[in-house]
Amino acid sequence: MAPVLPLVLPLQPRIRLAQGLRLLSWLLAVVGGLTFLCSGHLLVQLWHLGTFLAPSCPVAALPQVALAASAVALGTGLVGSGASRASLDAAQYPPWRGVLGPLLVAGTAGGGGLLVLALGLALALPGTLDTGLEEGLGTALANYKDTEVPGRCQAKRLLDELQLRHHCCGRHGYKDWFGIQWVSNRYLDPNDQDVVDRIQSNVEGLYLIDGVPFSCCNPHSPRPCLQSQLSDPHAHPLFDPRQPNLNLWAQGCHEVLLGHLQGLASTLGNMLAVTFLLQTLVLLGLRYLQTALEGLGGVIDGEGEAQGYLFPAGLKDMLKTAWLQGGVARRPAPEEAPPEEEPPKEGLPEA
Amino acid sequence: MALLKVKFDQKKRVKLAQGLWLMNWLSVLAGIIIFGLGLFLKIELRKRSDLMDNSESHFVPNSLIGMGVLSCVFNSLAGKICYDALDPAKYAKWKPWLKPYLAVCVLFNTVLFLVALCCFLLLGSLESTLAHGLKNGMKFYRDTDTPGRCFMKKTIDTLQIEFKCCGNNGFRDWFEIQWISNRYLDFSSKEVKDRIKSNVDGRYLVDGVPFSCCNPSSPRPCIQYQLTNNSAHYSYDHQTEELNLWVRGCRAALLSYYSSLMNSVGAVTLLVWLFEVTITIGLRYLHTALEGVANPEDPECESEGWLLEKSIPETWKAFLESVKKLGKGNQVEAEGVDAGQAPEAG
Repeated sequence: MAPVLPLVLPLQPRIRLAQGLRLLSWLLAVVGGLTFLCSGHLLVQLWHLGTFLAPSCPVAALPQVALAASAVALGTGLVGSGASRASLDAAQYPPWRGVLGPLLVAGTAGGGGLLVLALGLALALPGTLDTGLEEGLGTALANYKDTEVPGRCQAKRLLDELQLRHHCCGRHGYKDWFGIQWVSNRYLDPNDQDVVDRIQSNVEGLYLIDGVPFSCCNPHSPRPCLQSQLSDPHAHPLFDPRQPNLNLWAQGCHEVLLGHLQGLASTLGNMLAVTFLLQTLVLLGLRYLQTALEGLGGVIDGEGEAQGYLFPAGLKDMLKTAWLQGGVARRPAPEEAPPEEEPPKEGLPEA
Repeated sequence: MALLKVKFDQKKRVKLAQGLWLMNWLSVLAGIIIFGLGLFLKIELRKRSDLMDNSESHFVPNSLIGMGVLSCVFNSLAGKICYDALDPAKYAKWKPWLKPYLAVCVLFNTVLFLVALCCFLLLGSLESTLAHGLKNGMKFYRDTDTPGRCFMKKTIDTLQIEFKCCGNNGFRDWFEIQWISNRYLDFSSKEVKDRIKSNVDGRYLVDGVPFSCCNPSSPRPCIQYQLTNNSAHYSYDHQTEELNLWVRGCRAALLSYYSSLMNSVGAVTLLVWLFEVTITIGLRYLHTALEGVANPEDPECESEGWLLEKSIPETWKAFLESVKKLGKGNQVEAEGVDAGQAPEAG
């Protein structure tokens, strides 16, 4: 049975492998910690923007999985650095011998699996974000006027603060505000002819105006903010709404939020990729170190040349051995039974 | 009669030196923190310097930065001294420098205490600078075409949005100045002409505020114009309306922000000062304990450490005597020169 990918490791290369592995493990721990912080940051941002993302959109899965994966990577890094430091010292290595095997399996299965899942989620995020934001922002705009309806009374404040903080207006532009009623009926004068005309001219009985809330205003504009009669080019002196101007924020909140969250997710995805690479290297190095030292019988300073390998035999051979071992484990049962029957027979005649 | 005598045996001396070494390196960290706090304070003052007429005093952050650097230098030096104090051979080269070094440490601690006090006391000057600067800032709100002042509108708008405030003392400050530039007024309109004529200075004053005064928590869309006219808006009473605009004035908002910042910086500086005083006292004890080792060949012997060799009044008298002697020394030299010159002349 030939070992898979064997590598001859005399003493000096073994020591250098251990030292290099120690450095790599610390690097993995640092990168794992940074990824942990980055995914925590993304989780906090998603939590803040929760009202503008449709509840059916499972966007929070990515940062949660990334948190778990980076925690496993951090643990792998710390374990790797401890093990590689111990492998240089004969007195410290024995307690690591029994633990290293299961730790490697856990690191590969758990860490690798979580990282692959997180990378997949990071790639799938833009699509889910798009639909989630579309739905969430639409609902928020529609609920803007409902400041007395329980459950929706915070919508106005949250949307105003969003537009002020992220420098955006409406979903895809300021004209979105022209298509919904954002002034509550409570503050509309039923005796005012203009109000009555507007409501009657609309099929659904909505009070629509060509104006926007104050949070759309751009402070960089040289003139005081113009919020009403925005479609009429003659309503305000020196103002033509058809020309590009600094009066309101030009970008829609959908684009701004999408760009912001996608930027965070792509940074997280890059960091997860680097963590995956480092973790693979560390786990491979640890496996070679472990098998080489096992070959020497756990004697660290042995001058002998040990062979490090990934698996003791090829995959087919391993499966055959495992099957045989399972069969051998089942067959001795009938062999053992007759010897068990004999002593009682011997016992009976005596009795 | 020595002040606060403490007996030291070899073990205690070693422990004191080791403890002081650790404390000195922690104090270097504290010095870096003070440096960082000073830098942060300086940046915060710089960010809003055009609201303070660019005349705010940078004395506190500059002195914090200086103190942080000095603390790092002194404490790393003291750490080196404490490390060497355990080895008599290495300590011998530091011996002549310790007394002047301790004097410098005492001076440094005094200055640090004064800087910490300044953090608390210089807030009053900041208040008057702010009041003056904000008033001018609001006057220049409309001058978006004047070079040098064209950013004032953006600065004040972002200030009012960020700090949730309106005007200098309240939103009525905006009624007294013209914040809409003449460029955007329609002079053919009768209403505009009336307003300008009704005013002695020919300014266009409105009972309205810029959009940045609006409070997002208000249940109704923001009312910015005709604020004192109840009939201009449906179901509106300007006497009872509280949520429409920000109620606080920007002077109070900025002042509370800067005062909480400077109070916390002052508190941290006082804590660091206490730490430094402890280190200086420990260093003094180590110095006198090592001086008091009677037999240099026998490092195991006991010695005494004290803060001052004599009690405070006696030390003060001795200090004055040494100052007088220094003065008399010069006098004697001068008399000697005169006496020397007189016989020559004679």
